Amino acid sequence: MDAISVEKLTKKYGENEVLKGVNLKIAEGEFYALMGPNGSGKTTLASIIVSVRSPTSGRIEIYGEKPENSKQLIGYVPQENFSSPILTGRENLMYFAGLLGYSKNAGEKIVNELLNKIGLSEDADKRVANYSGGMRKRLEVATALFPSIRILILDEPTTGLDPSARRKFLGLIQELRKEKTTVLLITHIGADAELASRVGLIDEGQIIAEDEPERLKNASGLKDVMNIETTIKSENVAKILRKFSEEKKVLETDVGYRVYCEDVEEATPEIVRSLDAIGCKATKIETEKPSLEDVFFKLTEKMVREVS
Amino acid sequence: MGQITATLGKTIKEFLRQKTILFWTIAWPILWVLIGSFSFVENAPSEVVSYIRGSIAISMSVFALMTAGMANLPGNIAQDRERGLLSKLMSMPINPWRDLVGRILALLAFSSLAAILVTLVGYGCGARFSYSLIGLLQSIGFLLLISLASAGIGMLIGTFIKHVHGAIMSGVGIAVVTAAISGVMTPYSSLPWLLQQFARIYPISSSGSSITFLLVGEEYAGYRPLSVDQTTLTIVISLLLFIGGLVAYSRFCWRKE
Repeated sequence: MDAISVEKLTKKYGENEVLKGVNLKIAEGEFYALMGPNGSGKTTLASIIVSVRSPTSGRIEIYGEKPENSKQLIGYVPQENFSSPILTGRENLMYFAGLLGYSKNAGEKIVNELLNKIGLSEDADKRVANYSGGMRKRLEVATALFPSIRILILDEPTTGLDPSARRKFLGLIQELRKEKTTVLLITHIGADAELASRVGLIDEGQIIAEDEPERLKNASGLKDVMNIETTIKSENVAKILRKFSEEKKVLETDVGYRVYCEDVEEATPEIVRSLDAIGCKATKIETEKPSLEDVFFKLTEKMVREVS
Repeated sequence: MGQITATLGKTIKEFLRQKTILFWTIAWPILWVLIGSFSFVENAPSEVVSYIRGSIAISMSVFALMTAGMANLPGNIAQDRERGLLSKLMSMPINPWRDLVGRILALLAFSSLAAILVTLVGYGCGARFSYSLIGLLQSIGFLLLISLASAGIGMLIGTFIKHVHGAIMSGVGIAVVTAAISGVMTPYSSLPWLLQQFARIYPISSSGSSITFLLVGEEYAGYRPLSVDQTTLTIVISLLLFIGGLVAYSRFCWRKE
């Protein structure tokens, strides 16, 4: 039986159709990542699955039951930092233990186990206001790991975390996979989505592609990607780089551009010369395998993430 | 532990650990008790000074209950919504009514603490009361009505004003303005006729006057607020405000979009 089953789901806000007939099936124990840019409908989809919003039409089942009847099976971690900063980590978890009906003694036992699992035992009695972003997010994930919970839904959990906190957080999620917890990860970060066993790409309220991460990348036909750091970012630079890129597509990044090349060795000197000619230096050129963000860009010509 | 106990514990800890809440609900009324007890009695005959101090302590206890219900409660609700906790709670197998009862019990416990501290400081400043056991019990009943009416207004604010600062400032604003124009902070006898009528309708000031009447005397209340009509009006409007707040909170704060 599927842990989550979504059929022909739509959601409208007035005339604005945010979800346009989404179909999604996630098997028990599967780690599924739903990746898309802001406004693509991924958070709306998650909030309908967890009964925070209602659909306009369509059907959702959690282990064959309506979502409202399956709340005890779902652990939802919204985007916002919902833990109380003036309570300690332990007090926050004890609050959720109480809400879930645990007695004081049973709650204390489970909370100690959870604190141990997320690596916060030593900081359990500090106020959350003194936690780093990563510690706070791990604490919030712990609120969704009480024993009755079989499905974990994480909405953009790594947004705003520094690389080290992000690695630690994703390590925790990988650990949960061993316990057969079903995970639905909502993200706009390709590297996070690649950890999943299956990825759905969502754009404008529709899932446009869905498969294992490697198969998605292979199916895209993208070969090597040149990651070029440039001294200037302008339309003129992008125009030159497009000449060297497959289907004339170039993805802007924080520090330069990603260019999709058939033959990197042949293109590199040409690119350097062409950029030099307009007074732009390529300060660093690296060749990488395509990422899920590249696949999304190829399919939609949209960036999953805004560049700074 | 149960949902009610869990929410009660969390909310009261949040009330007790936030400096702004402690200031507006406890320190500010105490400050006014200290100022009022010494500066407002300079020209009063010595035999009435302790009763004037008593009425000041009662007024400031009423104000403490008002800010607790009208500012702290909506601030707490708005904060939980703003940081996504209400969404998280909606995704859990939780009964909204139990959440609400937990919040109200926390408010009542915190309000009682504030009123006791303010009264004790007043007593320390020389406030004296003359009362019977029945009068004391009736006064506790009126304090409960003040808390319920304030909580009702607070829940309406918390439901419809989405942002934390907006909710708190609206609550403080309503508490200060209505206290000033309804005789909570000023003697009833000094109010113009129109505001005297408002003071009788506004259940918080009429309850406050009833407590003053019961514990200090009629001359300090300004009128006889314990008539059957007046008491019935006070109880009915207090309960209407409270029920209105309950309905708004449970319907709109927990409504699926």
